[in-house]
Amino acid sequence: MVKYTKIEFLTACAASHVRDGENVFGGTGMPLLAALLAKETHAPHINLISEAGFIDAHPRNVPLSVADSRYYYGCAAAIGLIETLGFILQAGRIDVGFLGAAQIDEYGNLNTTYIGPYEKPKVRLPGSGGGNDIASCAKRLVIMMTHDKRKFVKKLDYMTSPGHLEGPGSREKWGLIGGGPEVVITDMCQMDFDPETKKIRLMTVHPGYTVDDVLDNVMFDLIVPEKVPQTPEPTEEQIRIMHELDPHGVYLGKGK
Amino acid sequence: MSRIINTHSGTARCSQLTEAEVYDKVITMEEAVKMVHDGDGLFWGGFGYQRAPIAFAHELVRQKKRNLTIYTCGSEIDIEIMVGAYVLSRLEIAFVAIEALGLANNVRRRVAEGAIEIEDYSNLAMAMRFLGGALNVPFMPIRTLMGTDIVNKSRYRGDKKLKVIDCPFTGQKVCLVPSVQPEFSIVHVQRVDKNGNAQIDGIVGEDLEGSRCGKKLIVLAEEIVGEEEIRHSPSRTAIPAMYVHHIVVLPFVAHPMQCHNYYDYDLEHLMMFHKMTKTEEGWQEYLDEYILGVDNHFEYLNIVGWERLHSLRAKRPWGY
Repeated sequence: MVKYTKIEFLTACAASHVRDGENVFGGTGMPLLAALLAKETHAPHINLISEAGFIDAHPRNVPLSVADSRYYYGCAAAIGLIETLGFILQAGRIDVGFLGAAQIDEYGNLNTTYIGPYEKPKVRLPGSGGGNDIASCAKRLVIMMTHDKRKFVKKLDYMTSPGHLEGPGSREKWGLIGGGPEVVITDMCQMDFDPETKKIRLMTVHPGYTVDDVLDNVMFDLIVPEKVPQTPEPTEEQIRIMHELDPHGVYLGKGK
Repeated sequence: MSRIINTHSGTARCSQLTEAEVYDKVITMEEAVKMVHDGDGLFWGGFGYQRAPIAFAHELVRQKKRNLTIYTCGSEIDIEIMVGAYVLSRLEIAFVAIEALGLANNVRRRVAEGAIEIEDYSNLAMAMRFLGGALNVPFMPIRTLMGTDIVNKSRYRGDKKLKVIDCPFTGQKVCLVPSVQPEFSIVHVQRVDKNGNAQIDGIVGEDLEGSRCGKKLIVLAEEIVGEEEIRHSPSRTAIPAMYVHHIVVLPFVAHPMQCHNYYDYDLEHLMMFHKMTKTEEGWQEYLDEYILGVDNHFEYLNIVGWERLHSLRAKRPWGY
């Protein structure tokens, strides 16, 4: 049996959602490592883009910032924000983007701005960055979050980025060009969206967790299909490659 | 007829076409910051860890500027410094945090205190607001933000924050973002000649638009080079001199952030900053030691230590 850490598991899981030949918004952290892993395994022809302006990036060290010089060396072009968020993203050229969030609701709408009331926020979070633009325009959106009941809420404190908004037809109403969220990856499970209602639906459960564990940790009614398979585990090869990509454990940690 | 000086002796294209003498745009950091008045708006250059105008932020704090508004996409410890020291009262931004390290602690505290107001936009929205300002048109249309609280909620801008309309040509919904033309644009670059022709290595972020949207542009450069160096590689000139009002030349302007091809970020210092700012006392200690406790940028660099700074110098060909 393959031994793996939680971070290794989630990185491999995220990598499985990147398809060969796609234009991918990588960002930093686990999504970046997942995109790099995909490129080294099943998706060698992806075009990795950082919103700061790096196009077709091949970083030799993992970047900490979307503008990190580590993204520069080996990329095909280094331009700017209007290029990546305008000409590329808003023009509909990004296939898949990754976002994290502090809160998500049952339609996959995301909050990365405030906890508490808007008028008197308890905690100021980073804000949208390019998040709203990515959620509005990427053909597919993959959301990665730690699974905590307080994060899966009936009503967001603030809606930073659009998921499926109020359900069927609402992205179309606002003319959003992207397809919206396709999958949510947490440390317990993967969720997708019911095509009829656009509501979040359990898809697979990670090894060591049950459907009830997931249901106990969301604050809305989660659609549970009849069959909920287990999420595939990472392979030895995937784990070896991700450590080659992050030899200093910047994202994977030192423990291996 | 203007006085003609030959700055290109030995080159063929002089004689009739030599330029008139330009007045030297190079001033000190203290002089540059003195021009900023309380209440002014600043476009703030750099993106994420790259080319952050930290030394300018320090001097704004030392000169006790108040009630400034910052316009930028995403800035990190430069905003933390200015917000922590009560230099800013308003921010129109898309992002503030220390990437890879965590939340912006000073911003979090000042928001909770009610000391600052933030109008939230996205990166595309802010970049387009700068493009609109640079083009001298009142707004630009985008196709994001719609349906979310970025459109539905606003602070001091009220209904002047964003507007969603039906396109007069196609009927499609579009979101209009108001252009920005602040008093100053502050942009940090790698090198500049004394006329102000500025070259940027690596990504430009939103600095092409941002440098052209302010009423006055102050360029901060790591290095001043001869005009021939610029004219030898004009395609690297991101900002032609005609936009530039003043130049400040100093090394390690972005420390502890990075400047492509010149130096890497100082991760140890960044982690120390983030840890100290977790408490107000810790932040005050940092502020007293590294910013208020020194008279100028060189004294700051002395405290950081030249051995440390030297170790951050970029290595060829990597650029970091």
